Amino acid sequence: MAEFKGTREAFAAALIDLAANDDKIMFVSPDSLKAMRATKFAELYPEQYVEVGISEQNAVDTAAGLAAAGLTPFVGTYAGFMTMRACEQMRTFVAYPNLNVKFVGINSGLLGGEREGVTHQFYEDLGILSNIPNYTILTPADGYQTYKAVQMAAKINGPVYVRAGSGREANVYEKDAPFSSDGITVLREYGNDTLLLSSGFVLDRVLAAADLLKEQGVNVTVGDINILYGKNPEKIIEAIRKAERIVTVEDHNINGGLGAYISRLSAENAPKFVKRIGLTTFGESGPAKELADAYGFSPENIAKTVKENL
Amino acid sequence: MNSAELKQVADHLRMTAVDMVYKGKDGHPGPALSIADIMAVLFFDEMRIDPANPDWEDRDRFILSKGHACPIYYAALSERGYFGEKIEDFKLRALGSKFQGHPVMNKTKGVDMTSGSLGNGISIAGGMALAGKYRRKDYNVYVIAGDGELQEGVCWEGINSAAAHKLDNLIVFVDKNGWQSGASVQETIGSNNIKERFEAFQWDAQEIDGHDADAIKAAIAKAKETKGKPSVIVCDCVKGKGLSFMENDNAWHKGVPTEEQYQQAVKELGGAE
Repeated sequence: MAEFKGTREAFAAALIDLAANDDKIMFVSPDSLKAMRATKFAELYPEQYVEVGISEQNAVDTAAGLAAAGLTPFVGTYAGFMTMRACEQMRTFVAYPNLNVKFVGINSGLLGGEREGVTHQFYEDLGILSNIPNYTILTPADGYQTYKAVQMAAKINGPVYVRAGSGREANVYEKDAPFSSDGITVLREYGNDTLLLSSGFVLDRVLAAADLLKEQGVNVTVGDINILYGKNPEKIIEAIRKAERIVTVEDHNINGGLGAYISRLSAENAPKFVKRIGLTTFGESGPAKELADAYGFSPENIAKTVKENL
Repeated sequence: MNSAELKQVADHLRMTAVDMVYKGKDGHPGPALSIADIMAVLFFDEMRIDPANPDWEDRDRFILSKGHACPIYYAALSERGYFGEKIEDFKLRALGSKFQGHPVMNKTKGVDMTSGSLGNGISIAGGMALAGKYRRKDYNVYVIAGDGELQEGVCWEGINSAAAHKLDNLIVFVDKNGWQSGASVQETIGSNNIKERFEAFQWDAQEIDGHDADAIKAAIAKAKETKGKPSVIVCDCVKGKGLSFMENDNAWHKGVPTEEQYQQAVKELGGAE
Protein backbone atom coordinates (compact mmCIF):
# COMPACT_ATOMS: atom_id res chain seq x y z
CA MET A 1 0.00 0.00 0.00
CA ALA A 2 1.49 3.32 -1.07
CA GLU A 3 1.26 6.42 1.12
CA PHE A 4 -1.82 8.55 0.52
CA LYS A 5 -3.73 11.37 2.12
CA GLY A 6 -7.48 11.87 1.99
CA THR A 7 -10.19 10.05 0.11
CA ARG A 8 -9.16 10.85 -3.47
CA GLU A 9 -5.59 9.66 -3.11
CA ALA A 10 -6.95 6.68 -1.19
CA PHE A 11 -9.11 5.77 -4.17
CA ALA A 12 -6.17 5.95 -6.58
CA ALA A 13 -3.89 3.96 -4.26
CA ALA A 14 -6.51 1.25 -3.85
CA LEU A 15 -7.17 1.10 -7.59
CA ILE A 16 -3.46 0.69 -8.35
CA ASP A 17 -3.15 -2.06 -5.75
CA LEU A 18 -6.23 -3.81 -7.13
CA ALA A 19 -4.96 -3.66 -10.70
CA ALA A 20 -1.64 -5.17 -9.65
CA ASN A 21 -3.46 -8.44 -8.99
CA ASP A 22 -6.44 -8.22 -11.31
CA ASP A 23 -6.19 -7.30 -14.97
CA LYS A 24 -9.98 -6.93 -15.17
CA ILE A 25 -9.85 -3.69 -13.18
CA MET A 26 -10.55 -0.68 -15.43
CA PHE A 27 -10.92 3.02 -14.75
CA VAL A 28 -13.39 4.96 -16.90
CA SER A 29 -12.76 8.69 -16.75
CA PRO A 30 -15.05 11.46 -17.96
CA ASP A 31 -12.01 13.76 -17.83
CA SER A 32 -11.69 13.04 -14.13
CA LEU A 33 -8.24 11.47 -14.05
CA LYS A 34 -6.65 14.42 -12.26
CA ALA A 35 -9.62 15.04 -9.99
CA MET A 36 -9.51 11.40 -8.92
CA ARG A 37 -5.72 11.66 -8.39
CA ALA A 38 -5.38 8.65 -10.70
CA THR A 39 -2.67 9.88 -13.09
CA LYS A 40 -0.27 7.24 -11.81
CA PHE A 41 -2.82 4.51 -12.48
CA ALA A 42 -2.99 5.66 -16.10
CA GLU A 43 0.80 5.57 -16.37
CA LEU A 44 1.05 2.10 -14.86
CA TYR A 45 -1.96 0.59 -16.64
CA PRO A 46 -2.56 2.62 -19.81
CA GLU A 47 -4.75 -0.04 -21.39
CA GLN A 48 -6.98 -0.18 -18.30
CA TYR A 49 -7.55 3.57 -18.31
CA VAL A 50 -10.46 4.56 -20.56
CA GLU A 51 -10.82 8.28 -21.19
CA VAL A 52 -14.21 9.20 -22.68
CA GLY A 53 -14.03 12.98 -22.33
CA ILE A 54 -16.45 15.19 -20.44
CA SER A 55 -19.47 12.94 -20.85
CA GLU A 56 -20.73 11.28 -17.69
CA GLN A 57 -23.68 9.45 -19.24
CA ASN A 58 -21.30 8.02 -21.80
CA ALA A 59 -18.84 7.07 -19.05
CA VAL A 60 -21.48 5.06 -17.20
CA ASP A 61 -22.73 3.45 -20.43
CA THR A 62 -19.16 2.61 -21.45
CA ALA A 63 -18.59 1.02 -18.05
CA ALA A 64 -21.80 -0.99 -18.47
CA GLY A 65 -20.47 -2.29 -21.78
CA LEU A 66 -17.10 -3.17 -20.25
CA ALA A 67 -18.81 -4.98 -17.39
CA ALA A 68 -21.14 -6.84 -19.75
CA ALA A 69 -17.99 -8.13 -21.44
CA GLY A 70 -16.61 -9.46 -18.16
CA LEU A 71 -14.44 -6.59 -16.86
CA THR A 72 -14.64 -4.70 -13.55
CA PRO A 73 -14.77 -1.00 -14.36
CA PHE A 74 -14.60 1.83 -11.84
CA VAL A 75 -16.16 5.15 -12.80
CA GLY A 76 -14.94 8.01 -10.68
CA THR A 77 -15.89 11.65 -10.85
CA TYR A 78 -17.89 14.29 -9.00
CA ALA A 79 -20.68 12.58 -7.12
CA GLY A 80 -23.53 14.53 -8.66
CA PHE A 81 -22.28 14.38 -12.23
CA MET A 82 -22.75 10.62 -11.89
CA THR A 83 -25.74 10.26 -9.60
CA MET A 84 -27.71 13.11 -11.13
CA ARG A 85 -26.57 13.66 -14.70
CA ALA A 86 -26.04 9.95 -15.32
CA CYS A 87 -28.66 8.75 -12.86
CA GLU A 88 -30.69 6.92 -15.48
CA GLN A 89 -27.63 5.14 -16.85
CA MET A 90 -26.68 4.12 -13.30
CA ARG A 91 -30.19 2.76 -12.82
CA THR A 92 -31.22 1.22 -16.11
CA PHE A 93 -27.95 0.02 -17.60
CA VAL A 94 -26.01 -0.86 -14.46
CA ALA A 95 -28.32 -1.56 -11.53
CA TYR A 96 -31.16 -3.22 -13.42
CA PRO A 97 -28.90 -5.75 -15.19
CA ASN A 98 -26.87 -5.93 -11.93
CA LEU A 99 -23.61 -5.27 -13.74
CA ASN A 100 -20.30 -5.18 -11.97
CA VAL A 101 -19.64 -1.45 -12.18
CA LYS A 102 -18.12 0.47 -9.26
CA PHE A 103 -18.67 4.17 -8.73
CA VAL A 104 -16.60 6.53 -6.63
CA GLY A 105 -18.25 9.92 -6.15
CA ILE A 106 -16.02 12.75 -4.98
CA ASN A 107 -17.03 16.18 -3.65
CA SER A 108 -19.88 14.64 -1.76
CA GLY A 109 -21.43 16.85 0.89
CA LEU A 110 -20.58 20.40 1.86
CA LEU A 111 -17.17 19.29 3.04
CA GLY A 112 -16.50 17.53 -0.23
CA GLY A 113 -17.36 20.53 -2.37
CA GLU A 114 -16.50 23.31 0.08
CA ARG A 115 -15.11 26.30 -1.84
CA GLU A 116 -16.49 25.21 -5.21
CA GLY A 117 -20.05 26.10 -4.30
CA VAL A 118 -23.36 24.37 -4.94
CA THR A 119 -22.62 23.24 -8.51
CA HIS A 120 -19.83 21.05 -7.15
CA GLN A 121 -21.28 20.06 -3.77
CA PHE A 122 -23.46 17.00 -3.69
CA TYR A 123 -25.74 16.23 -0.78
CA GLU A 124 -28.35 14.25 -2.71
CA ASP A 125 -26.33 11.27 -3.96
CA LEU A 126 -27.33 8.85 -1.21
CA GLY A 127 -31.01 9.73 -1.46
CA ILE A 128 -30.93 9.04 -5.17
CA LEU A 129 -29.09 5.73 -4.96
CA SER A 130 -31.05 4.47 -1.97
CA ASN A 131 -34.07 4.38 -4.28
CA ILE A 132 -32.38 2.15 -6.85
CA PRO A 133 -32.25 -1.59 -6.17
CA ASN A 134 -28.95 -3.52 -6.26
CA TYR A 135 -26.61 -0.74 -5.13
CA THR A 136 -24.28 -1.34 -2.21
CA ILE A 137 -23.61 2.11 -0.72
CA LEU A 138 -20.36 2.58 1.17
CA THR A 139 -19.70 5.77 3.15
CA PRO A 140 -16.13 5.65 4.45
CA ALA A 141 -15.25 8.22 7.13
CA ASP A 142 -11.68 9.04 6.09
CA GLY A 143 -8.91 8.25 3.64
CA TYR A 144 -7.86 4.99 5.27
CA GLN A 145 -11.43 3.75 5.28
CA THR A 146 -11.86 4.84 1.66
CA TYR A 147 -8.91 2.68 0.65
CA LYS A 148 -10.59 -0.29 2.32
CA ALA A 149 -13.99 0.59 0.87
CA VAL A 150 -12.62 0.63 -2.68
CA GLN A 151 -11.01 -2.75 -2.04
CA MET A 152 -14.33 -4.06 -0.71
CA ALA A 153 -16.18 -2.64 -3.72
CA ALA A 154 -14.07 -4.73 -6.07
CA LYS A 155 -14.95 -7.90 -4.17
CA ILE A 156 -18.71 -7.33 -4.19
CA ASN A 157 -20.56 -8.81 -7.14
CA GLY A 158 -22.73 -6.03 -8.55
CA PRO A 159 -22.90 -2.26 -8.50
CA VAL A 160 -21.27 -0.37 -5.64
CA TYR A 161 -21.12 3.32 -4.81
CA VAL A 162 -18.31 4.67 -2.66
CA ARG A 163 -18.89 8.16 -1.29
CA ALA A 164 -15.70 10.24 -1.29
CA GLY A 165 -14.80 13.84 -0.60
CA SER A 166 -12.36 16.62 -1.39
CA GLY A 167 -9.19 14.88 -0.22
CA ARG A 168 -8.74 17.03 2.85
CA GLU A 169 -10.54 14.73 5.29
CA ALA A 170 -9.15 14.23 8.79
CA ASN A 171 -7.98 10.71 9.53
CA VAL A 172 -9.98 9.13 12.31
CA TYR A 173 -9.27 5.44 11.90
CA GLU A 174 -5.98 3.61 12.21
CA LYS A 175 -4.48 2.83 8.84
CA ASP A 176 -5.04 -0.90 9.19
CA ALA A 177 -8.50 -0.76 10.76
CA PRO A 178 -10.96 -2.91 8.80
CA PHE A 179 -13.90 -1.45 6.89
CA SER A 180 -16.75 -3.02 8.83
CA SER A 181 -18.86 -5.44 6.83
CA ASP A 182 -21.54 -5.09 9.52
CA GLY A 183 -22.10 -1.45 8.59
CA ILE A 184 -21.30 -0.08 12.04
CA THR A 185 -18.17 0.54 14.09
CA VAL A 186 -18.60 1.74 17.66
CA LEU A 187 -15.80 4.20 18.37
CA ARG A 188 -16.74 5.61 21.79
CA GLU A 189 -18.77 4.08 24.59
CA TYR A 190 -18.93 6.83 27.20
CA GLY A 191 -22.48 5.93 28.19
CA ASN A 192 -26.01 5.39 27.06
CA ASP A 193 -27.47 8.90 27.28
CA THR A 194 -27.67 9.08 23.48
CA LEU A 195 -26.55 6.92 20.58
CA LEU A 196 -24.78 9.38 18.31
CA LEU A 197 -24.48 8.00 14.79
CA SER A 198 -22.29 9.47 12.09
CA SER A 199 -21.74 8.66 8.45
CA GLY A 200 -18.87 9.88 6.28
CA PHE A 201 -16.40 12.68 6.82
CA VAL A 202 -18.15 14.40 9.72
CA LEU A 203 -16.96 11.65 12.02
CA ASP A 204 -14.11 13.71 13.51
CA ARG A 205 -16.64 16.41 14.40
CA VAL A 206 -19.02 13.90 15.94
CA LEU A 207 -16.20 12.44 18.06
CA ALA A 208 -15.24 15.96 19.20
CA ALA A 209 -18.89 16.54 20.14
CA ALA A 210 -18.88 13.33 22.20
CA ASP A 211 -15.84 14.56 24.10
CA LEU A 212 -17.45 17.95 24.70
CA LEU A 213 -20.58 16.25 26.00
CA LYS A 214 -18.55 14.04 28.31
CA GLU A 215 -16.98 17.13 29.85
CA GLN A 216 -20.51 18.41 30.41
CA GLY A 217 -21.64 15.19 32.07
CA VAL A 218 -23.52 13.72 29.10
CA ASN A 219 -22.18 10.32 28.15
CA VAL A 220 -22.91 9.10 24.65
CA THR A 221 -22.03 6.14 22.46
CA VAL A 222 -20.67 7.00 19.00
CA GLY A 223 -21.13 4.71 16.05
CA ASP A 224 -19.85 5.18 12.50
CA ILE A 225 -22.29 3.83 9.94
CA ASN A 226 -20.23 2.92 6.87
CA ILE A 227 -22.77 0.95 4.80
CA LEU A 228 -26.18 2.51 4.11
CA TYR A 229 -29.26 0.47 3.24
CA GLY A 230 -27.13 -2.68 3.33
CA LYS A 231 -28.27 -6.27 3.23
CA ASN A 232 -27.23 -7.17 6.79
CA PRO A 233 -28.18 -4.36 9.19
CA GLU A 234 -28.42 -6.66 12.24
CA LYS A 235 -25.54 -5.05 14.14
CA ILE A 236 -26.99 -1.59 13.53
CA ILE A 237 -30.38 -2.76 14.78
CA GLU A 238 -28.67 -4.24 17.83
CA ALA A 239 -27.14 -0.84 18.62
CA ILE A 240 -30.52 0.85 18.11
CA ARG A 241 -32.16 -1.62 20.52
CA LYS A 242 -29.66 -0.76 23.24
CA ALA A 243 -30.07 3.01 22.74
CA GLU A 244 -32.16 5.37 24.86
CA ARG A 245 -32.44 7.84 22.01
CA ILE A 246 -30.58 8.54 18.77
CA VAL A 247 -29.03 11.55 17.04
CA THR A 248 -27.74 11.13 13.49
CA VAL A 249 -25.19 13.41 11.80
CA GLU A 250 -24.59 13.43 8.06
CA ASP A 251 -23.17 15.80 5.47
CA HIS A 252 -26.16 15.16 3.17
CA ASN A 253 -29.73 16.30 2.91
CA ILE A 254 -31.65 14.98 5.90
CA ASN A 255 -33.85 13.01 3.51
CA GLY A 256 -32.60 9.83 1.91
CA GLY A 257 -29.32 9.32 3.75
CA LEU A 258 -28.20 8.19 7.20
CA GLY A 259 -31.02 9.80 9.21
CA ALA A 260 -33.70 8.36 6.97
CA TYR A 261 -32.05 4.94 7.08
CA ILE A 262 -31.71 4.87 10.86
CA SER A 263 -35.26 6.20 11.30
CA ARG A 264 -36.53 3.34 9.18
CA LEU A 265 -34.52 0.68 10.97
CA SER A 266 -35.67 2.08 14.29
CA ALA A 267 -39.33 2.41 13.33
CA GLU A 268 -39.46 -1.12 11.96
CA ASN A 269 -37.40 -2.88 14.62
CA ALA A 270 -37.05 -0.92 17.84
CA PRO A 271 -38.87 2.43 17.91
CA LYS A 272 -36.73 5.12 19.52
CA PHE A 273 -36.67 8.90 19.32
CA VAL A 274 -34.46 9.92 16.37
CA LYS A 275 -33.18 13.47 15.82
CA ARG A 276 -31.48 14.06 12.49
CA ILE A 277 -28.71 16.59 11.89
CA GLY A 278 -28.11 17.21 8.20
CA LEU A 279 -28.76 19.68 5.45
CA THR A 280 -32.16 21.12 4.61
CA THR A 281 -30.98 23.81 2.17
CA PHE A 282 -28.37 24.27 -0.54
CA GLY A 283 -24.90 25.20 0.67
CA GLU A 284 -22.49 27.85 -0.61
CA SER A 285 -18.75 28.41 -1.11
CA GLY A 286 -16.47 28.68 1.87
CA PRO A 287 -13.47 27.20 3.64
CA ALA A 288 -14.32 23.70 4.81
CA LYS A 289 -14.26 24.30 8.56
CA GLU A 290 -16.18 27.58 8.49
CA LEU A 291 -18.68 26.17 6.05
CA ALA A 292 -19.34 23.01 8.03
CA ASP A 293 -19.67 25.05 11.22
CA ALA A 294 -22.08 27.48 9.56
CA TYR A 295 -24.36 24.67 8.40
CA GLY A 296 -24.67 22.97 11.77
CA PHE A 297 -21.80 20.51 11.81
CA SER A 298 -19.69 22.18 14.53
CA PRO A 299 -18.94 19.91 17.49
CA GLU A 300 -20.62 22.57 19.65
CA ASN A 301 -23.85 22.47 17.65
CA ILE A 302 -23.90 18.68 17.55
CA ALA A 303 -23.38 18.61 21.34
CA LYS A 304 -26.09 21.23 21.84
CA THR A 305 -28.54 19.25 19.73
CA VAL A 306 -27.85 16.12 21.74
CA LYS A 307 -28.47 17.98 24.99
CA GLU A 308 -31.67 19.60 23.72
CA ASN A 309 -33.07 16.20 22.96
CA LEU A 310 -32.16 14.38 26.16
CA MET B 1 -27.79 -17.18 -47.35
CA ASN B 2 -28.59 -15.56 -50.69
CA SER B 3 -30.75 -12.47 -50.96
CA ALA B 4 -33.93 -14.39 -51.82
CA GLU B 5 -33.51 -16.58 -48.77
CA LEU B 6 -32.80 -13.57 -46.58
CA LYS B 7 -35.88 -11.80 -47.93
CA GLN B 8 -37.92 -14.84 -46.95
CA VAL B 9 -36.39 -14.88 -43.47
CA ALA B 10 -37.05 -11.15 -43.06
CA ASP B 11 -40.70 -11.52 -44.04
CA HIS B 12 -41.08 -14.45 -41.70
CA LEU B 13 -39.61 -12.37 -38.86
CA ARG B 14 -42.04 -9.59 -39.80
CA MET B 15 -44.97 -11.96 -39.57
CA THR B 16 -43.79 -13.31 -36.22
CA ALA B 17 -43.44 -9.76 -34.89
CA VAL B 18 -46.93 -8.80 -36.05
CA ASP B 19 -48.31 -12.03 -34.58
CA MET B 20 -46.58 -11.21 -31.27
CA VAL B 21 -48.09 -7.72 -31.11
CA TYR B 22 -51.49 -9.00 -32.22
CA LYS B 23 -51.61 -11.71 -29.56
CA GLY B 24 -50.00 -9.53 -26.87
CA LYS B 25 -52.34 -6.64 -27.77
CA ASP B 26 -49.55 -4.12 -27.40
CA GLY B 27 -46.22 -3.12 -28.92
CA HIS B 28 -44.46 -1.22 -31.71
CA PRO B 29 -44.93 -3.00 -35.05
CA GLY B 30 -43.88 -0.17 -37.41
CA PRO B 31 -40.38 0.27 -35.95
CA ALA B 32 -39.94 -3.52 -35.86
CA LEU B 33 -40.78 -4.10 -39.51
CA SER B 34 -38.48 -1.29 -40.54
CA ILE B 35 -35.36 -3.22 -39.44
CA ALA B 36 -36.39 -6.76 -40.43
CA ASP B 37 -33.96 -6.99 -43.34
CA ILE B 38 -31.01 -5.78 -41.26
CA MET B 39 -31.93 -8.28 -38.53
CA ALA B 40 -32.17 -11.11 -41.06
CA VAL B 41 -28.68 -10.40 -42.41
CA LEU B 42 -27.16 -10.01 -38.93
CA PHE B 43 -28.72 -13.04 -37.25
CA PHE B 44 -28.89 -15.42 -40.21
CA ASP B 45 -25.82 -14.56 -42.20
CA GLU B 46 -23.35 -12.31 -40.51
CA MET B 47 -22.97 -12.57 -36.78
CA ARG B 48 -20.72 -15.12 -35.10
CA ILE B 49 -23.13 -16.42 -32.49
CA ASP B 50 -24.03 -19.76 -30.95
CA PRO B 51 -27.63 -20.01 -29.72
CA ALA B 52 -26.66 -23.01 -27.56
CA ASN B 53 -23.99 -20.91 -25.87
CA PRO B 54 -25.43 -17.39 -25.59
CA ASP B 55 -22.72 -16.19 -23.18
CA TRP B 56 -19.85 -17.36 -25.38
CA GLU B 57 -16.99 -14.92 -24.75
CA ASP B 58 -15.93 -14.66 -28.37
CA ARG B 59 -19.40 -14.06 -29.82
CA ASP B 60 -20.29 -10.97 -31.77
CA ARG B 61 -22.43 -8.64 -29.66
CA PHE B 62 -25.66 -6.97 -30.66
CA ILE B 63 -27.51 -4.07 -29.07
CA LEU B 64 -30.96 -3.00 -30.22
CA SER B 65 -30.59 0.60 -29.14
CA LYS B 66 -34.09 1.40 -30.42
CA GLY B 67 -35.36 -1.22 -27.97
CA HIS B 68 -39.04 -0.61 -28.70
CA ALA B 69 -38.54 -2.52 -31.97
CA CYS B 70 -37.94 -5.68 -29.89
CA PRO B 71 -40.68 -7.89 -31.39
CA ILE B 72 -38.43 -8.40 -34.41
CA TYR B 73 -35.48 -9.11 -32.08
CA TYR B 74 -37.44 -11.73 -30.15
CA ALA B 75 -38.59 -13.23 -33.44
CA ALA B 76 -34.99 -13.51 -34.68
CA LEU B 77 -33.76 -15.09 -31.43
CA SER B 78 -36.60 -17.60 -31.47
CA GLU B 79 -36.03 -18.46 -35.09
CA ARG B 80 -32.31 -18.96 -34.42
CA GLY B 81 -33.15 -21.42 -31.64
CA TYR B 82 -32.20 -19.47 -28.53
CA PHE B 83 -35.28 -20.75 -26.71
CA GLY B 84 -35.20 -24.36 -27.86
CA GLU B 85 -38.43 -24.91 -29.76
CA LYS B 86 -39.79 -21.97 -31.69
CA ILE B 87 -42.19 -19.95 -29.60
CA GLU B 88 -45.86 -19.96 -30.63
CA ASP B 89 -47.13 -17.34 -28.23
CA PHE B 90 -44.46 -14.99 -26.89
CA LYS B 91 -46.84 -13.46 -24.35
CA LEU B 92 -45.25 -10.13 -25.25
CA ARG B 93 -45.50 -7.64 -22.37
CA ALA B 94 -47.50 -10.09 -20.23
CA LEU B 95 -46.86 -10.37 -16.50
CA GLY B 96 -44.06 -12.87 -15.87
CA SER B 97 -43.07 -13.10 -19.54
CA LYS B 98 -39.42 -13.16 -20.49
CA PHE B 99 -40.40 -11.03 -23.46
CA GLN B 100 -40.57 -7.65 -21.78
CA GLY B 101 -41.86 -4.47 -23.39
CA HIS B 102 -38.24 -3.56 -24.06
CA PRO B 103 -35.26 -5.96 -24.15
CA VAL B 104 -33.80 -7.10 -20.80
CA MET B 105 -30.49 -8.93 -20.78
CA ASN B 106 -31.06 -11.02 -17.66
CA LYS B 107 -34.52 -12.19 -18.68
CA THR B 108 -34.10 -13.14 -22.31
CA LYS B 109 -31.40 -15.48 -23.59
CA GLY B 110 -29.40 -13.96 -26.41
CA VAL B 111 -30.05 -10.35 -25.39
CA ASP B 112 -26.60 -8.88 -24.83
CA MET B 113 -27.77 -5.62 -23.29
CA THR B 114 -30.85 -4.13 -21.75
CA SER B 115 -32.20 -1.32 -23.94
CA GLY B 116 -35.20 0.83 -24.61
CA SER B 117 -34.33 4.12 -23.01
CA LEU B 118 -33.22 5.81 -26.21
CA GLY B 119 -29.72 7.01 -26.91
CA ASN B 120 -27.58 4.64 -24.90
CA GLY B 121 -26.81 1.73 -27.24
CA ILE B 122 -23.84 3.28 -29.01
CA SER B 123 -22.08 4.30 -25.78
CA ILE B 124 -22.61 0.87 -24.25
CA ALA B 125 -21.44 -0.83 -27.43
CA GLY B 126 -18.34 1.35 -27.21
CA GLY B 127 -17.60 -0.25 -23.84
CA MET B 128 -18.08 -3.73 -25.27
CA ALA B 129 -15.85 -2.92 -28.23
CA LEU B 130 -13.16 -1.50 -25.93
CA ALA B 131 -13.31 -4.67 -23.85
CA GLY B 132 -12.81 -6.69 -27.02
CA LYS B 133 -9.73 -4.67 -27.96
CA TYR B 134 -8.30 -4.84 -24.46
CA ARG B 135 -8.81 -8.60 -24.21
CA ARG B 136 -7.47 -9.21 -27.72
CA LYS B 137 -10.78 -10.67 -28.87
CA ASP B 138 -11.76 -10.45 -32.51
CA TYR B 139 -15.50 -10.06 -32.02
CA ASN B 140 -17.53 -7.24 -33.53
CA VAL B 141 -20.20 -5.22 -31.80
CA TYR B 142 -23.31 -4.33 -33.81
CA VAL B 143 -25.91 -1.72 -32.91
CA ILE B 144 -29.18 -0.73 -34.49
CA ALA B 145 -30.17 2.81 -33.59
CA GLY B 146 -33.08 4.87 -34.86
CA ASP B 147 -32.81 8.14 -36.73
CA GLY B 148 -35.10 9.87 -34.24
CA GLU B 149 -33.05 8.40 -31.42
CA LEU B 150 -30.00 10.31 -32.60
CA GLN B 151 -31.59 13.43 -31.14
CA GLU B 152 -30.44 12.17 -27.73
CA GLY B 153 -27.21 13.91 -26.71
CA VAL B 154 -25.66 10.83 -25.16
CA CYS B 155 -25.51 9.23 -28.63
CA TRP B 156 -23.03 11.85 -29.70
CA GLU B 157 -21.00 11.44 -26.54
CA GLY B 158 -20.57 7.79 -27.47
CA ILE B 159 -19.99 8.54 -31.15
CA ASN B 160 -17.28 10.99 -30.13
CA SER B 161 -15.40 8.64 -27.82
CA ALA B 162 -15.78 5.60 -30.12
CA ALA B 163 -13.89 7.52 -32.79
CA ALA B 164 -11.29 8.67 -30.28
CA HIS B 165 -10.67 5.05 -29.33
CA LYS B 166 -10.55 3.97 -32.99
CA LEU B 167 -13.14 1.25 -32.39
CA ASP B 168 -13.09 -0.44 -35.78
CA ASN B 169 -14.85 -3.43 -34.19
CA LEU B 170 -18.00 -1.32 -33.75
CA ILE B 171 -20.58 -1.20 -36.53
CA VAL B 172 -23.71 0.92 -36.08
CA PHE B 173 -26.76 0.68 -38.29
CA VAL B 174 -29.08 3.67 -38.30
CA ASP B 175 -32.64 2.83 -39.25
CA LYS B 176 -33.33 5.98 -41.22
CA ASN B 177 -37.05 5.60 -41.72
CA GLY B 178 -37.69 9.28 -41.24
CA TRP B 179 -40.22 8.91 -38.45
CA GLN B 180 -40.27 9.13 -34.70
CA SER B 181 -42.99 8.76 -32.11
CA GLY B 182 -44.80 12.04 -32.69
CA ALA B 183 -44.01 13.14 -36.24
CA SER B 184 -41.43 12.93 -39.00
CA VAL B 185 -37.80 13.53 -38.09
CA GLN B 186 -37.75 16.42 -40.56
CA GLU B 187 -40.72 18.13 -38.92
CA THR B 188 -39.31 17.52 -35.47
CA ILE B 189 -35.72 18.59 -35.80
CA GLY B 190 -35.38 20.07 -39.28
CA SER B 191 -32.75 17.82 -40.74
CA ASN B 192 -31.80 14.17 -41.01
CA ASN B 193 -28.31 14.36 -42.53
CA ILE B 194 -27.00 11.46 -40.52
CA LYS B 195 -24.15 10.29 -42.74
CA GLU B 196 -22.57 13.75 -42.83
CA ARG B 197 -22.78 14.09 -39.08
CA PHE B 198 -21.05 10.78 -38.47
CA GLU B 199 -18.38 11.71 -41.00
CA ALA B 200 -17.79 14.94 -39.11
CA PHE B 201 -17.21 12.79 -36.03
CA GLN B 202 -14.52 10.86 -37.92
CA TRP B 203 -16.54 7.70 -38.55
CA ASP B 204 -16.50 5.61 -41.68
CA ALA B 205 -19.98 6.18 -43.12
CA GLN B 206 -22.05 4.53 -45.83
CA GLU B 207 -25.66 5.01 -46.86
CA ILE B 208 -27.59 2.13 -48.41
CA ASP B 209 -31.06 0.75 -49.06
CA GLY B 210 -31.90 -0.85 -45.71
CA HIS B 211 -34.20 -3.40 -47.33
CA ASP B 212 -31.64 -4.79 -49.79
CA ALA B 213 -29.89 -7.79 -48.23
CA ASP B 214 -27.03 -7.74 -50.72
CA ALA B 215 -26.40 -4.07 -50.04
CA ILE B 216 -26.46 -4.70 -46.29
CA LYS B 217 -23.99 -7.58 -46.63
CA ALA B 218 -21.67 -5.55 -48.84
CA ALA B 219 -21.79 -2.60 -46.43
CA ILE B 220 -20.89 -4.85 -43.49
CA ALA B 221 -17.98 -6.32 -45.46
CA LYS B 222 -16.69 -2.84 -46.22
CA ALA B 223 -17.15 -1.75 -42.61
CA LYS B 224 -15.16 -4.74 -41.40
CA GLU B 225 -12.32 -3.87 -43.78
CA THR B 226 -12.16 -0.33 -42.43
CA LYS B 227 -9.36 -0.02 -39.89
CA GLY B 228 -8.81 2.65 -37.25
CA LYS B 229 -12.34 4.01 -37.08
CA PRO B 230 -15.84 2.85 -36.23
CA SER B 231 -18.39 2.42 -39.00
CA VAL B 232 -21.93 3.58 -39.47
CA ILE B 233 -24.26 2.13 -42.07
CA VAL B 234 -27.13 4.55 -42.59
CA CYS B 235 -30.03 2.46 -43.84
CA ASP B 236 -32.78 4.11 -45.82
CA CYS B 237 -35.78 2.23 -44.52
CA VAL B 238 -39.56 2.36 -44.68
CA LYS B 239 -41.31 2.31 -41.35
CA GLY B 240 -43.73 -0.62 -41.32
CA LYS B 241 -41.99 -2.14 -44.37
CA GLY B 242 -43.68 -5.19 -45.84
CA LEU B 243 -47.27 -4.48 -44.89
CA SER B 244 -49.22 -2.28 -47.28
CA PHE B 245 -51.42 -0.76 -44.61
CA MET B 246 -48.50 -0.07 -42.29
CA GLU B 247 -45.82 1.32 -44.59
CA ASN B 248 -45.00 4.97 -43.87
CA ASP B 249 -48.08 5.36 -41.67
CA ASN B 250 -46.73 6.63 -38.38
CA ALA B 251 -49.93 5.62 -36.60
CA TRP B 252 -48.22 2.21 -36.52
CA HIS B 253 -45.34 3.49 -34.40
CA LYS B 254 -47.32 1.78 -31.70
CA GLY B 255 -50.52 -0.09 -32.40
CA VAL B 256 -52.32 -3.40 -32.54
CA PRO B 257 -53.68 -4.86 -35.78
CA THR B 258 -57.39 -5.70 -35.96
CA GLU B 259 -58.32 -9.25 -36.89
CA GLU B 260 -58.90 -8.09 -40.45
CA GLN B 261 -55.50 -6.41 -40.58
CA TYR B 262 -53.91 -9.50 -39.07
CA GLN B 263 -55.41 -11.64 -41.85
CA GLN B 264 -54.13 -9.12 -44.35
CA ALA B 265 -50.65 -9.50 -42.84
CA VAL B 266 -50.86 -13.27 -43.18
CA LYS B 267 -51.68 -12.81 -46.86
CA GLU B 268 -48.96 -10.25 -47.56
CA LEU B 269 -46.19 -11.88 -45.55
CA GLY B 270 -46.94 -15.47 -46.43
CA GLY B 271 -48.34 -16.67 -43.11
CA ALA B 272 -46.72 -17.22 -39.74
CA GLU B 273 -44.90 -20.40 -40.71
